Amino acid sequence: MAVVLTARELTRHYEVSRGLFKGHALVRALNGVSFELEAGKTLAVVGESGCGKSTLARALTLIEEPSSGSLQIDGTEVKGASKSERKQLRRDVQMVFQSPYASLNPRQKIGDQLAEPLLINTSLSKAERREKVQKMMEQVGLRPEHYQRYPHMFSGGQRQRIALARAMMLQPKVLVADEPTSALDVSIQAQVLNLFMDLQKEFNTAYVFISHNLAVVRHVADQVLVMYLGRPAEMGPKADIYEKPLHPYTQALLSATPAIHPDPLKPKIRIVGELPNPLNPPDGCAFHKRCPYATERCGVEVPAFRQVGTRQVACHYAEQFL
Amino acid sequence: MSLLQINNLNVRFGDAHAVPVVDGLDLAVDAGEILAIVGESGSGKSVTMMALMGLIDAPGRITADALTFDGTDMLKLSGRQRRKVVGKDIAMVFQDPMTALNPSYTVGYQIEEVLRQHLGLKGKAARQRALELLKKVEIPAAESRLDAYPHQLSGGMSQRVAIAMAIAGEPKLLIADEPTTALDVTIQAQIMELLVNLQKERNMALILITHDLAVVAETAKRVCVMYAGQAVEVGQVPELFDVPAHPYSEALLAAIPEHSIGAERLATLPGIVPGRYDRPDGCLLSPRCPYVQDNCRRQRPPLDPQAHSLVRCFYPLNQEVA
Amino acid sequence: MTSPIPKPVTPASPVDQSLLYPSPYKEFWHAFAQNKGAVMGLAFMCLVVFCALFAPWVAPHNPSEQYRDFLLTPPVWLEGGTWQFILGTDELGRDLLSRLIQGARLSLLIGLSSVVMSLIPGILLGLLAGFFPNFIGPSIMRLMDVMLALPSLLLAVAIVAILGPGLINTVIAIAIVSLPSYVRLTRAAVMGELNRDYVTAARLAGAGLPRLMFVTVLPNCMAPLIVQATLSFSSAILDAAALGFLGLGVQPPTPEWGTMLASARDYIERAWWVVSLPGLTILLSVLAINLMGDGLRDALDPKLKNAA
Repeated sequence: MAVVLTARELTRHYEVSRGLFKGHALVRALNGVSFELEAGKTLAVVGESGCGKSTLARALTLIEEPSSGSLQIDGTEVKGASKSERKQLRRDVQMVFQSPYASLNPRQKIGDQLAEPLLINTSLSKAERREKVQKMMEQVGLRPEHYQRYPHMFSGGQRQRIALARAMMLQPKVLVADEPTSALDVSIQAQVLNLFMDLQKEFNTAYVFISHNLAVVRHVADQVLVMYLGRPAEMGPKADIYEKPLHPYTQALLSATPAIHPDPLKPKIRIVGELPNPLNPPDGCAFHKRCPYATERCGVEVPAFRQVGTRQVACHYAEQFL
Repeated sequence: MSLLQINNLNVRFGDAHAVPVVDGLDLAVDAGEILAIVGESGSGKSVTMMALMGLIDAPGRITADALTFDGTDMLKLSGRQRRKVVGKDIAMVFQDPMTALNPSYTVGYQIEEVLRQHLGLKGKAARQRALELLKKVEIPAAESRLDAYPHQLSGGMSQRVAIAMAIAGEPKLLIADEPTTALDVTIQAQIMELLVNLQKERNMALILITHDLAVVAETAKRVCVMYAGQAVEVGQVPELFDVPAHPYSEALLAAIPEHSIGAERLATLPGIVPGRYDRPDGCLLSPRCPYVQDNCRRQRPPLDPQAHSLVRCFYPLNQEVA
Repeated sequence: MTSPIPKPVTPASPVDQSLLYPSPYKEFWHAFAQNKGAVMGLAFMCLVVFCALFAPWVAPHNPSEQYRDFLLTPPVWLEGGTWQFILGTDELGRDLLSRLIQGARLSLLIGLSSVVMSLIPGILLGLLAGFFPNFIGPSIMRLMDVMLALPSLLLAVAIVAILGPGLINTVIAIAIVSLPSYVRLTRAAVMGELNRDYVTAARLAGAGLPRLMFVTVLPNCMAPLIVQATLSFSSAILDAAALGFLGLGVQPPTPEWGTMLASARDYIERAWWVVSLPGLTILLSVLAINLMGDGLRDALDPKLKNAA
């Protein structure tokens, strides 16, 4: 399968002023993320608040330029792309947001919102655009008369369908979904996730699926990338990660996720403390202050993101968990 | 004698003929028990508790055959009498800790306010007790946090402060309305553990309102499933999860990704929860129920005892023939 | 053992919630009509607009015609009044009612044109200030700060003093004076909306700057602007009346409510109606517009909250 998205050491730093006399601090929101994504596959990015997944989303959708590192979409390098190349790149990556209430323009009819990407990027006639919009609306389960309606007349689940339809109008190569079902009820979440999978099959789109809900991720992902404080902690095929997580943070996440039928064999890992301050990250491994297995080495040396078996892990002692 | 007894609670917004948001709810909670109320948006779970606390303003109207707490009839209380009970014997923890705390006052001040109002503590005694409470909810560096403002705390910390405020009055009943929905999964695990420990220690009754069935499975002893304002099943954990009797309970469980590991699609119920304008004449689930029969559409089923639970269905599932 | 969920052959047709929702205009009218004061204000303004549009046919007399035999006739309900001049006549024998009706034209014209003349540049400047917060924005806002530092009426007087009295210059002066509030409002609303996901989504769809400004963001900023425009309308009438009172605005014999007040100053004791009735008309119009503005704000804001 063709590789449509390649990220190499993506990094994004922010300068934050700390007051009149204290000078600037550097927030390393994203600190060296690399991966490859094939068409029709899903990479799930998992982590808690402050791990850098939103920054990653903004970098992948070209909203922000990474401070360093390279990003290739369908073979075209983003940095230094020409104007016409940028236009094409714009069409190749789209996004679905978390809040169904904020991602649609309250003052525009949804039919017009769906037609807008076509209006801007193609030279189709009005009738042709309308036809395409109606077709997409039908695919996501909306009725033709919904074309005229405004967003506030729809439920949360329906709005996410509209948002998904809008993102797919240009048939992008990559879709970044930023917690698309977190704000939805369980049964609506199931409907919307099914729709995501259907559209992926239809258009062979690659998904970058950002979520903190490990149960949902298990259903949709092919590959899983776990992030902590801007760095990758573990990345590999879904089955391996869920069966045998190697990084202590991944283990803690899986342990903390509540389950209807908890597995009595899996130990409950109690994780203490909270995410460290991104302005003042700990030395060495970012996780060592909360890690139940931390040693002296962890507080000094930053672990490299290295290959261990079928996946990559950033832990000095990853082999011990195999 | 139950600690909390609710019989035939109805909450309407508008006149006596308006569609009820809570429809004929019966609920009982004993001292020291953990009850979970589960439902999706529009199920009326939060409104039920607001009605109990007297937080529903006109045009909301509350009617009930009985609404007693610890022997006191809550319906007949004046504002002043109610204020003596609410916040002291009944306390509530809300979903979004960032908005539940007053941003203009320090954390210490807010906890002391509860102590002043309900326990009559003042000055040094109040501050000392506030410090003890913060330590009880496992806030690190509690001394310095007393003078912190809510915006200086993370989500998890703010929720701990909210819990400290809730237990300050030594309540007999603690209501937690989606206390961990807005938090990261590792923090969620910490907070749930804290709540359960506090509950055990103080023999408080705990009502946990949530849409997350997995949290319920790990925490509660009894669960009440609500749909469109009615209680459709009340049963024990884990029996309800192993052998759900009401089609809606079954559908909720089936929609969770955990139950579809390896499956292509998640099982879903078509349609959405009935709103104000399209309430069916018969059973409220009848337009969506996969097992619907003719009389389901015409009559409203009552809440009947079955093998392990109370079920509101003419044809409960999976029940041994009596 | 749980029985498997059977796949529904045809899903029960979900009842369509959105078909039960009225159009945004009906919803808005419903919310607006809840406010009785606002509806009364609207009714009064409709009356004023009607008079303004059909003044030549509605007015019983020619506003400029002087009836030499009927100088300072009292209104009909006082002693000495006649039904020929329902509200009496002024010091030159002109029918007061006709002058008031004719004056409605001018007041509405001044209100409308000054609002339009300040709204359009105000929105443009506000959009620019919001979209370019690093360079252009602060420059624009500092300029507006300077303008806001000067008392509005004095500024208007100064402008008219430079440009000379007259209708058009009055309108220009009032427009310049109301500009800063529109710029500020628009900029605040734009900055609030720019962070919302739907603007990011529009950027992702490839929208260029003009489309982002006018199609995506501006319609969502209109609510506070509409309310401000309504209220500026009433203060425009007041400012024009004040300028007219000072002799700097519309010149006699053109009937304008403010100039009518000014020229009748000397007759307060002898013929109070020549002063009071124009004053009362100004009061009622401003009150009506303000009530309408309040109603508009209440009707538009909750809808924004629902939509958000």
